[in-house]
Amino acid sequence: MENFDAIVVGAGPAGCAAAYTMAKAGLNVLVLERGKYAGAKNTWGGALFGSAMNEVFPEFWKEAPVERSVSRHAISFLTKDACLSVDYKDSHSDGSSTPGFIILRAKFDQWMAGKVEKAGAIIAAGLEVDDFIREGKAIRGVKVGGEEFPANVVILADGVNSLLAVKAGLRGEFKAKDLKQGVKEVLRLPREVIEDRFNLRGTDGAVMEFVGHCTLGLPGGGFIYTNLDSLSVGVVVQLSALLEKRVKASELLEEFKAHPAVQSLIRGGELLEYSAHLIPVSGISMMPKLFADGIMITGDAAAMVLGTGLILEGANFAVAAGVAAGNAAIRAREKNDYSSAALQSYEQALKDTFVLKDLNTFREAPHFLENERIYNAYPQWACDLMSRIFCSNGKPRKNTFQVVRESMKGRFNIMQLFSDFMRARRAM
Amino acid sequence: MEIIVCIKPVLDPDMPPAKFSVDSKTNRVIPPEGMPLVINPYDALAVEAALKIKEAKGGKITAVTLAGSFATEILRKAVAMGADEAININDPAFEDSDTFSTAFILAEVVKKIGKYDLVLCGRQAADWDNGVVGSVIAEYLNIPSVIRAKGIVVTNGKLRVERVVANGFEIYEMGLPAVVTLSSEMGQARIPTGWGIINAVKKKIPVWTCSDLGLDPVRVGKTAARNSLVKLYTFSPSRSCEMITGKDDKEAAGKLAEKIMDIKP
Amino acid sequence: MKVEDKLALNKFEVDREVHIRVDEQICDRCEPKDCLYVCPAECYVIRDGHVTFSYEGCLECGSCRFSCDRGAITWVNPRGGFGICYQYG
Repeated sequence: MENFDAIVVGAGPAGCAAAYTMAKAGLNVLVLERGKYAGAKNTWGGALFGSAMNEVFPEFWKEAPVERSVSRHAISFLTKDACLSVDYKDSHSDGSSTPGFIILRAKFDQWMAGKVEKAGAIIAAGLEVDDFIREGKAIRGVKVGGEEFPANVVILADGVNSLLAVKAGLRGEFKAKDLKQGVKEVLRLPREVIEDRFNLRGTDGAVMEFVGHCTLGLPGGGFIYTNLDSLSVGVVVQLSALLEKRVKASELLEEFKAHPAVQSLIRGGELLEYSAHLIPVSGISMMPKLFADGIMITGDAAAMVLGTGLILEGANFAVAAGVAAGNAAIRAREKNDYSSAALQSYEQALKDTFVLKDLNTFREAPHFLENERIYNAYPQWACDLMSRIFCSNGKPRKNTFQVVRESMKGRFNIMQLFSDFMRARRAM
Repeated sequence: MEIIVCIKPVLDPDMPPAKFSVDSKTNRVIPPEGMPLVINPYDALAVEAALKIKEAKGGKITAVTLAGSFATEILRKAVAMGADEAININDPAFEDSDTFSTAFILAEVVKKIGKYDLVLCGRQAADWDNGVVGSVIAEYLNIPSVIRAKGIVVTNGKLRVERVVANGFEIYEMGLPAVVTLSSEMGQARIPTGWGIINAVKKKIPVWTCSDLGLDPVRVGKTAARNSLVKLYTFSPSRSCEMITGKDDKEAAGKLAEKIMDIKP
Repeated sequence: MKVEDKLALNKFEVDREVHIRVDEQICDRCEPKDCLYVCPAECYVIRDGHVTFSYEGCLECGSCRFSCDRGAITWVNPRGGFGICYQYG
C-alpha cells in the first residue's frame, strides 16, 4: 500500500495552504475532503484580509473567483430604530497596500483545491476520515470507513468541528462560551443596484458591520458583504448567549434584515442560500496542543481565529498556519523524523509569525468582548446622544457636554465607562 | 468481456428547483454557478452494471464521454467506481451535437476502440430525458439493443436482459456484441472507495478529437443536427384553489362532481 | 420566510443514513431543551412529546454538539460526500 509523505484532512484555506506548500516541495501529499467538493461545507461572513493568501498564491485575485475588493468598511451601532456609523473608504489607488477581498467560499475553495492539485497533490473529495492508524502513541495515517491510508505525518485542517482533534488527544471538546454561531443568507440583487445602494464603482466592495440591536444586545453582531451580484447578510452571536437567553439566531437574522437601516440596503434581494457555521472566538485560551507524534493541527480546528472586536479574522491565520505546518512536514521529511520533538518547529514558526503574536497581543480581547454593555448600553447611548445633538425642538439648546452626561443617565455610570475604557485599552 | 460505458455529465438532478434557470434568448440552460455537474444517474447504473459483469466474468471496462466541460470529473467518477480506462471525446466541432450526431460520434468511438462485447448506456440523460442515444448507437453499429434494462447476465457468450415494461419486465436473450441501456429499477450505483478515488485522480485520461476519430466535421456538431430546439422556457404553472361547500357532505360532493364534469379537456 | 423554506433552496446530498442521533430517554428528562433554540436549521422538533432530529436539513454547524450538556446527542458528520453542499458559502 502506498505510503504518503503527508495526509491533510480538509481542503479549506489551512489544508490547501499546507498541501500546496508540501506538494511544491515535491512531497507526496494526499488531501482528504469530506465534502462532495472542496468548499461544499464551508461558509463565512465574507472577506479575506491580510497578506498570507497572497504569499501562497501571488496576486490570486487576478485568477481566483473573488467577488469584489474591499474599498469601504463601515461599522454601525444599531438601536431599534436608529443607526450610527463610522464609514471608512479607501480606494487603494496608489497600489501600496492590498485591499481585502470579498469571497464566496464554495467557489473560492474549489479554485484553491484546483491549484493544490496542479501542484501535484491528490485531492480526494467525498471522504470522511473517521480514525487514525496508530503505532504506539504515534499517528501513522488515517482511516476512512474500513480503508487505511498510511502517511508519515497527518495535518488536521478539518475545521471548528474537528472530531479528529479530540480523537488525537490534542484537545477536549470546545465549550459553547468559546464559540459564536453565524447564520447567513445570500441574496441576489442586480449588480447595478448593489453599486448604487452601496456607493461602489466597478468591482469595489463594501463590508458593513453592525453592533447592538441586531443581536438584541447579545455578544456578537450583524454583517452585510457586497458580492458581485448578491449580498451576504448575516448575524454572529455567542453560542452560550443564545442558550442563556433562549433566542434563535435565525430570528435575530430576520429582525436584523427588517431594521430600517438594513432593509433599505437589502430590499428586493432574492434568497439564494441559507447557511450556518460556528466560529471559535476565544483565541489562545481555547487553543489545543498544536502537534504530537506524527500529527499537527491548524486553522479553525486549532481555534486560530483573531477576534478583536473590530475584526474577526480566521482565513488569513489559517493560511499562514497551514504554510507553517507544511514547512514543518518538509523539515521532518528531510530528517526523516516525524516525532513530536521534530514537529515542534511548527509551533516555533507560528510564534515567529503574526499567527501566535497577534493571538497573544489580543489574548484579553475575547474576555473583554463578553461585556454586554458593548452590545447594549453603548450602542443605545451613542444613538441617543446623536439624536439629542441633532434635536431641534424649539427649546433652548444645552451645552454639548451636559447633553453627553444626560444621555448616559440610567445606562451606565462614569466609573463603568472608565473601567471599560481601560479594559479595552488592555485588550485591544 | 470488453465493456464500453457511455456516460454524460448533467446538472445535479437533486438540485433545488429554484436554482434552475434558462436563457430563452439563446435557448440555453444557465448552469448554476458553484455547483459541479454530476454523472447522469442512469449512466452511473450503466457503470454499476458493467462492474457486476466484470466481477462475474472478468474483463475490462472503458468509460467514454462526449461532454466538453466536466468531462474529466465524471470520467474520474467512473474510474473511481472501478472502470479500467477512460476516454474524453472532446473537440469544438462536437459542440451542439444533437442526440443523433452524439450517437454517431459515440459509435465511431466504439469502432475505434475496436474490441468490444457490450456497450452500456443510461436509459436517458437526466437533463433532456431524450433516451435516444443508446438505440441509435446500436443502429450505427448494426448490432442488437435492449433499452430500459433492470438486469443483465452473461452466460455462455450470450446476453440475458430483463427489460422494464409498464406492468413488469420482459426477458430477452441475444448474442454479443450488443447495446443495453440501464434503468433505475436496476438498483443503486456503488459509492467509490477511497483508494478508488485516489486511483481515479492519478489516471491519465486521453482526449480523442474529431481528427483522431477521422471524422468529417460536417457530419458532427450543429451542422449534422437533425433536431432543432425551437423554444426553451421554464414552465410556471398557475394554480387556483376553490373551496366547495354545501349544507352537508352529500351536497358538497354533488357540487364537486358537477364541477369536475364541467371541466372541458 | 420560515427556516424550512430557506432550507428548501439549499442543495443537500441526502443520505439514507441518519448521522446525528438523540437519546430519547435523556431528552424526555431534559427541561431546558436547548437544542430546540440553538439549531439554526430548526432540525430539532418535538414530535409526539419527544425531541426528534430531522437530519435532512442539517447544516452540520455543530451548534447542538456544543450545546447539549447532557450527552443526549451523538454527533458525527454525514458520510463523505453527503449532507449540505453549499453553492455560495
